[in-house]
Amino acid sequence: MLGRSLLFPSLLVGVVAGVNVVAPHPARGFGEVGAFDPRVLLTGSQTASAHPTAPARWSTELVQRTSAPARVHPSVVHADDPSIVDAPFLYWSGDAEIASLTNAEVSGLRRFFSLGGVLLVDDAAPTANGEPSAFGRSARREIARVLPESARIAIGADHVVFRTFYFLSRAEGRIEGPPTLEGIARGGQVQVLFTEHDLGGALAQGASGIWEEPVIPGGEVQREHAIRLAVNIAMYVLCSNYKDDQVHAPYLMRRRAISTP
Amino acid sequence: MITSTLGPSADLSPWAIGAACVLGAASFGALLVEMRRGERGRPMIATTGLLATIMVLAAVLRPARISASESVVGARIVVLADESRSMALAADDGRPRSAVRDDVVARLRRGSGREARLQVLGFGVGAPTPLLVAQGNDVTTTRAPHSDLAAALRSLSVSAEERPAAIVVVSDGRLDDPPDGASKTALRGLDEQLRVPIHTVAVAQAAPADASVRGVTASGAAVAHVPLPVRVEVGCSGTLTCDEIPVTARELREDAPPALLASGTAHLRDGRASLDLTITLDRAGTRLVEIAIAAPAGDTIPSNDRRLVVLDVARDRVRVLHVAGRPTNDVRALRQWLKSDASVDVVAFFILRTPTDDVRATQNELALIPFPVDELFTEHLPSFDAVVLQDFDAQPYHLEKYLSNLERYVRSGGGLAMVGGQNSFVAGGYAGTPLAEVLPVELDASRDATGADTSPFVPEWTDEGRAAPLLAPLREVVGDDLPEMAGANVLGEVRPGSVALWTHPTRTTRSGKMPVLAIGDEGAGRAIALGVDGAWALKFSAIGARTAGRAHGALWDGLLGWLMHDPRFEAARMESVGACIANVPSTLRAQLSSRAAGIAGKMMLDVTRIDHPQPPLRIEVAPPAGGSVDLSLPPLEAGAYAARLHVGAANARFDFACEAGGDEWADPRPDVSRLKALASATGGTFASADEAEFLPLPKPTVVSAERRVSPIAPPWAWSGAAAAILGVHWLVRRRGGLS
Repeated sequence: MLGRSLLFPSLLVGVVAGVNVVAPHPARGFGEVGAFDPRVLLTGSQTASAHPTAPARWSTELVQRTSAPARVHPSVVHADDPSIVDAPFLYWSGDAEIASLTNAEVSGLRRFFSLGGVLLVDDAAPTANGEPSAFGRSARREIARVLPESARIAIGADHVVFRTFYFLSRAEGRIEGPPTLEGIARGGQVQVLFTEHDLGGALAQGASGIWEEPVIPGGEVQREHAIRLAVNIAMYVLCSNYKDDQVHAPYLMRRRAISTP
Repeated sequence: MITSTLGPSADLSPWAIGAACVLGAASFGALLVEMRRGERGRPMIATTGLLATIMVLAAVLRPARISASESVVGARIVVLADESRSMALAADDGRPRSAVRDDVVARLRRGSGREARLQVLGFGVGAPTPLLVAQGNDVTTTRAPHSDLAAALRSLSVSAEERPAAIVVVSDGRLDDPPDGASKTALRGLDEQLRVPIHTVAVAQAAPADASVRGVTASGAAVAHVPLPVRVEVGCSGTLTCDEIPVTARELREDAPPALLASGTAHLRDGRASLDLTITLDRAGTRLVEIAIAAPAGDTIPSNDRRLVVLDVARDRVRVLHVAGRPTNDVRALRQWLKSDASVDVVAFFILRTPTDDVRATQNELALIPFPVDELFTEHLPSFDAVVLQDFDAQPYHLEKYLSNLERYVRSGGGLAMVGGQNSFVAGGYAGTPLAEVLPVELDASRDATGADTSPFVPEWTDEGRAAPLLAPLREVVGDDLPEMAGANVLGEVRPGSVALWTHPTRTTRSGKMPVLAIGDEGAGRAIALGVDGAWALKFSAIGARTAGRAHGALWDGLLGWLMHDPRFEAARMESVGACIANVPSTLRAQLSSRAAGIAGKMMLDVTRIDHPQPPLRIEVAPPAGGSVDLSLPPLEAGAYAARLHVGAANARFDFACEAGGDEWADPRPDVSRLKALASATGGTFASADEAEFLPLPKPTVVSAERRVSPIAPPWAWSGAAAAILGVHWLVRRRGGLS
């Protein structure tokens, strides 16, 4: 059984020292292009996300907490820029109503989704009880134009995004908001995630290392939960439903063991 | 031969001749009755009366001398001599049965067949052909893998040649058709068209002391990872004492010891037993399974103690182990492609946390499980069809001690893809390990080896890459275009027998440009080295957008398909033309794929012995005019073989077995009763080898030619002589008192 293996942390700790002694030069920086990039999506007259420091902090937290590489200087792309299809993730954050997407922007987003890209729509100004702001409402309106055939669904704690790295019981951000996320699933994969928690607000951190926004009502514990949600979302982008596999892996192994004399 | 006889004039019909004779006899009879009344000169009257009758008859028949040239034509007798492999077994006197068979033919020529037209044909598979005379240890007259007498008789019945007057079958009776236990009606049916007697001669009658694997039958099709019931028939004959015989089933693997699949003991009753075994094969494709018995002492035919069974193992789903050292866009893209294919069963393990990561959570708050390296790379490894190591560092996870397992896994038929990244190849600690020996590229194992070149570049296609069937799906989507890669793992020379499909535009090795994508066969398995982690750009890039993201799937469709020996990406589909018989030249037939057929240049065929170390045999093959080519193999020893056909960067593999006797030696007992039954059912005669010359064969036919009729005397002479003698007779009658 898989469970009889050595525990993962103890397995690793004793090996790292040896690696430093005998390993050839690692290929540093080689994977930068393929790393997680919380690309900021801009539409209309937007020039930055609602919390410009949040994407970089997101990357930093991901790199510090997990094995996933991430861009410490996330890129920014406009919806009508051809390079919108150059990476599989977009982060769209705002605190004010957005103008209707142009045809070029709609087309660019459709190309992005057609390749399997994932978009996180982060409402930076939801009400205290998690009602969407003008940004949230307008973003939903515009996404409905981009993906007219797709309906939004609730993403609850039973969804894999709540266990891609951390076990999470609910969604939290700068504000506590509703326990669930919203999403649009296409081809068995959630391609659009809506959050009414101002996730970027919980991540935003100034150059001095001071958090830019207070987290209410849970304070730093809630911020930690928000960071964990961000990590989980990044892991979902990179691994999709891998953790669903993990649930099944022991079963698959057992079945194989039974079928093999 | 010239003969001369007397006969009546040719212008008389047979009835006229008969009538004349009857009249003559009646006249003489009347004379004898008449003479009873006379008293004198009776002898004289009778004598002259008889002479007169004869002369009158002669005047009517006008005798002539008939000269003719005559010849004796022997009946056409077809001798069907068994050419199957069982004729190489020993007969009752210890000689090969084929030698006895040849003696029987000689006896027939000397004996009852002396006056016949004997046509000696050999039968085995299909239509019979003239029997060759064996020279020394020549096995050409015992090479047929079957003994199909029914096919030979059918061929004779539809032949345009003269129908034979009789057929003589010379065999040991161990025939494929008619089968054992065929009814009299079925045997008579063999002769339905010809309707001639079929005589049979047995070349052997005593069963040898032998234990053998008489048959192996599988219940249903073989599917990878699925238990397959196999029934093994074991027999024991002659003076051998057999109660229990151990039976084993082993998979013969290239570059690896045979794997025991199942074993059991056959309990024999009346010299035979059936044993049911269950075997499970992990690899799809043609697999060679050896079914062997441990024969008791005194076994005279060791060659039939094992059978080599070629199983074409299908798979329900391709089972892929996907191990990634860290989650990246490249890992994401490959995983999504693997998961999107319903025919692929993916077991994935991604390292999501390293020892230096600060998760700021307790173990219970983490949705992580230990990486089961021990289980994966020991007991579960054979259950996977392919292993993908993506950006995975072998050292921190103690994979190093299992790299020899992975090497054996590849050599025994598994597929391996190592995908680039900062923890792959040299940087992953694979250089100088057993696993490096099965990669298609060399890795620099020196301490100052460079792990990667981080300069962006666009891979270049090699000529082999452009022609490779496995990259054809990708080329159909992107043509020559490839996206820019952020960097490349530093790879060494392409190993002999492997092929580079993409190269680096500026980095070089000793012999040329550095490979970026290379493929190679190792043992029964295959390996791929992809020295970049930017294949995902085939999906997310301008090229990806232009091709609707299909390019990435097309690349991996080809790579994984090639690893799995998908026929779409094989150079050819190969098959054996007839069974391969040990020490007899054999032929493989390759049906080239349309892409491979379009590749100009020579083809190479490598034949490797699987079950015994032996230098490989390399045969150069001229490019065929069409899509099919016959590959002639020299005589091979009995054993298991792998044939690899190389056509450019494409290749094809075919596993086959050469057996000393095959089915023909599985049951070495002569079957005299079948020969007797055949003779009896068709009106023929059965004879032992010693009695062959006394077979009741049809008599020859006499044929006359150049017939010439010469009158002995002219008609008037016969008439004058008849008149004169009649006159004399009349005078004698008168003097004797008759009117």
